[in-house]
Amino acid sequence: MSLSHSAIRPSIRRRLWADRWIYLFLLPTVVLVASYTIWPMFASIWFSLLDWNGFERAGRFIAFGNYAEIFADRLFWNAFANTVIFVVVAVPIRVGLALLLAVVLNAGLPFSRSFRTAIFLPVVTTAAILGVVMRFVLDPASGPVNEVLLQLHLITQPINFLGRAGLSLYTAIGVWVWKWLGITLIYWMAALQTIPADLYDAARIDGAGRWQRFRYITVPLLTPFTIIITLITVVEATNVFDLMLTLTNGGPFFSSEVIDIFVYRQAFAANIPRLGYASAAALLFGVCVMAVIAAQIVVVARLRRRVAEQ
Amino acid sequence: MSAAASSRSGARFWTWLSVLVLAVLCLVWIYPFLWLVSASFKDPLEIFSKGLSLVPNALRWDNYVRAWATAGFSTYMLNTVLVTVGTVLLVIFHTSLTGYVLGRYNFIGRKLVIGVLVATFIIPAGFAIIPIVDLTKTLGLLNNRWGIILALAGSGHAASILLYAGFFSQLPKELEEAAVVDGAGFFTIFGRIMLPLAGPVTATVAVLTFLAAWNSFLIPLVLTFGAPGQRTLAVGMLAFVGTNETDWPGMAAAATLSLVPVIVFFFFVQRFFVEGVAGAIKA
Amino acid sequence: MSTRQTGGINRRDALVGLGTLAAAMATASGRSAFAQDAKTIKWWDHFQPIAPLFEKAWANYGAVHPGVTVEHTVMNPADMMQALQLAFRSEQAPDVMSIPAPLATLNQLAGSSWFAPAGSGLHLDKPFQKDVLFEGLTNFGGKVYSFPLFSFRQHSTSLWSLKDKIDTDGNAIKGWDQIRQVAKAATKNGTYGLLLPIQFTDRMRVHVDDLSQMIGGAGPIDWKTGQYNYAADEYVETLQQLLSFQQDGTLHPASSSLDARQGRTRWAAGEAAMFTDGPWNSGVIANSFAQVLPNIAVSGNPVLTDSGHVHSSPQAGTFWISAQSKNPDIASELLNLFTTDEFYIKLAERMDQPPLNLDAVAQANVHQTYKDVVAGYKDSVRLAPEPVIRNADVGKVYGEMKPVSPSLGEIVQGAFAGAFADPKPVLKQLADQMTAERDRAIKAVNDAGGKVSVDDWKFDAWNPAEDFTPDKY
Repeated sequence: MSLSHSAIRPSIRRRLWADRWIYLFLLPTVVLVASYTIWPMFASIWFSLLDWNGFERAGRFIAFGNYAEIFADRLFWNAFANTVIFVVVAVPIRVGLALLLAVVLNAGLPFSRSFRTAIFLPVVTTAAILGVVMRFVLDPASGPVNEVLLQLHLITQPINFLGRAGLSLYTAIGVWVWKWLGITLIYWMAALQTIPADLYDAARIDGAGRWQRFRYITVPLLTPFTIIITLITVVEATNVFDLMLTLTNGGPFFSSEVIDIFVYRQAFAANIPRLGYASAAALLFGVCVMAVIAAQIVVVARLRRRVAEQ
Repeated sequence: MSAAASSRSGARFWTWLSVLVLAVLCLVWIYPFLWLVSASFKDPLEIFSKGLSLVPNALRWDNYVRAWATAGFSTYMLNTVLVTVGTVLLVIFHTSLTGYVLGRYNFIGRKLVIGVLVATFIIPAGFAIIPIVDLTKTLGLLNNRWGIILALAGSGHAASILLYAGFFSQLPKELEEAAVVDGAGFFTIFGRIMLPLAGPVTATVAVLTFLAAWNSFLIPLVLTFGAPGQRTLAVGMLAFVGTNETDWPGMAAAATLSLVPVIVFFFFVQRFFVEGVAGAIKA
Repeated sequence: MSTRQTGGINRRDALVGLGTLAAAMATASGRSAFAQDAKTIKWWDHFQPIAPLFEKAWANYGAVHPGVTVEHTVMNPADMMQALQLAFRSEQAPDVMSIPAPLATLNQLAGSSWFAPAGSGLHLDKPFQKDVLFEGLTNFGGKVYSFPLFSFRQHSTSLWSLKDKIDTDGNAIKGWDQIRQVAKAATKNGTYGLLLPIQFTDRMRVHVDDLSQMIGGAGPIDWKTGQYNYAADEYVETLQQLLSFQQDGTLHPASSSLDARQGRTRWAAGEAAMFTDGPWNSGVIANSFAQVLPNIAVSGNPVLTDSGHVHSSPQAGTFWISAQSKNPDIASELLNLFTTDEFYIKLAERMDQPPLNLDAVAQANVHQTYKDVVAGYKDSVRLAPEPVIRNADVGKVYGEMKPVSPSLGEIVQGAFAGAFADPKPVLKQLADQMTAERDRAIKAVNDAGGKVSVDDWKFDAWNPAEDFTPDKY
């Protein structure tokens, strides 16, 4: 036992020493990721076990008290539900609409470059600023959107897009899709370019129509991209802090309060900040997201295996 | 003959219908920008006057002067450019190094590094802000652009590393062998041969990081609460909204000022942007 | 090294340019190498309208005490506590700060040793200055830490109107029925009758508290019983009256997404005929929209009834010296600048909150609406009791109590957003939640060795029509 140990140890040491420049290359990433990603995560786990008002230097250990309170906090579950609604409604719209546009633009339409540019425009602009701008644009008293709808006689009273409890979350979803559609469009266009053009030509010769070509060539070949694009979009849809803060700040009456805003409100914006409680909420939600994504990956792997078996 | 002609004219009809629909859609897409630019030239009370006309009564350039000089947007612009550039350079630096060794070498701990990177990819970003503030404080970088750059460069770049690793792993072994014969050292091989070859990946990483850094909000927000002079555009905009509610045209001018450079930049490097993003998804 | 690396990209020139920028950044981030022995006091507050007055006083002080400068930052009250929280954590706290937060927060901060005593530079000699110093509000552990700059005799809910948008005398509008009628008549040609800053939940809370007391309510806590009072009829009626403007279609439709500043601007621009705000409205209008000033009128106590009084608690201290300050003596002398008779008159002339010495308003050169509003407070505002004055441990309870959601302001917002149909059960729930949270906090404080009971909130000697002066405790 001890023999084998001493035999291995020098060889490991020698290997490590021989590879020292490899570790030197790794050093910047290791230091950065360890300090800004991994350590904060462990620190948050510790914080989530504290009762800590943020004014004090340190908190008081209360074990799982914060978690117990969160499970009973209706506003946490409200924010949780809003985030779920956001993901469930916004992701299919963004992914689907972008695919539709990509297919249309990919058909070699005139001006397609200009269209692509126009749709990409909101992507490169700062979400926090767009939130403020859209508050102007959607204003019920002097905003242009209501003005158009009124002049077209589609409505008789201005719609308070951001100020009505039943509407604000969906308005925010609309703005979010508007902002980010361009990047999903680019993803799809790149994916479409991986499909060889002669496949379509062959199908056309066989008499396949527009829809049939889409159904039997495009859709199956895009499946792996669909998974990746959906995954990326889901992660993005759980991370909409800047847009929501400037657009609705979670209001009115928590109707558009997503998890990020809930956490921020607890940690910074409340009269008495609660760092421990905020950390616990963030972690609990983070665990749920990870579970969903892990489930997604497992399902995808299963599907792939089944496809491979066929 | 006639069937073919009618099918061709049918196709043309569909094409132009699509163009029309798309044109309307694009108008909707860019309308907020047009409205914003128009509002930025208006008189404070003119903004509230109804009507859809985008043409202001007179061009009020003083709105811009106010936003640029008085509200400090010149400073915010400089801060944002410096933070974004710093972050992009730092990210390219550390992700290419790591991607290179992960892609081309087998060493003790490689699996661990990859596992941790993949895990950080799944963990939702932005939740652990308080420890980041503490860390930045400990480093003495609170209210400092370097603090923002380090925090932005230190999280959420697993995808870039994996892009580099994927690219480097495809390069033939002979490249290094030839270089070693020529007497090139490890650093020379990386700097002179490998990194230049990875140009397209670097472009992709630069674009993705640029987008993330330019748009970043929470980290610059919490790291500059105490130092208005270090704010970025996004944070400055929020502060401007908070303290100058009365000045709506100034706000529109400030927003226009914040958006124009990135839009201009985007038009110049459009191909780069699109291909970079597309490159990421293909890989 | 770095140029060689980036050389991998075709656009070498562009990147070299960017590299130069990075170098510029390195030098730009370190500029503070001058004025070694000068003393700079960092001062953060949220009193935008009074800033010129403060700065002038400091300039005069600096002329007598060379080397002392004040670095004044006017913050947005909405982010101020976040900024202070981070500043304290990073030991970059200002020397002097205002605390735009409730008494509970203040007590937590004092408990977390944020503050230093006001020290020997501050002299509060006049009776009306001594009368407003209380443990838990301005004093801690028997020492004076701070003092109020403003009079308690004020509320935040006057009804401001634009003369050219209404068909009656805006100074004489009285009672809900008349307000509704005026609003209906004014709603035309793109103007709405009333604008409420509904997004600003704290302000709406104060509005509802004030209005419910004007019609005879006891306020958030009924000092006779010590119980939370949100389920009282006056609260329900006030909320329903406010909602009626929405039902009439006379409420400015953007109200729910506007805070007080945005709302004031749009009212001043003529989008609404009436707007609810405190006395500072005249000051802001005078400074930002001078052309509108001749057009404004005000009903100081818009729905006051014979039996109604607005109960205002003793004011907490306004400015606090940081425990982290390196120059507390200078900070102390700077605070003392704000205690003179001339200062009170000048403070009145900024037309913000009324000065501690209300008599100064009569001598000051101020707009008539400001005079009217402040004069109206004599009829409507009465000094309320404050439990923390009777028992300092109540401060610990404030510190222990966690915020209850939805709060009153959030409930108001929810009612306007259509989140629930009947406000009454929601208000009842708020009263119950507050009671339960207070009971929990009392128990926690007592478990930790404190000595508090619910009876500390009960004042048998309280008469709603009279000031609860210090001798009544």
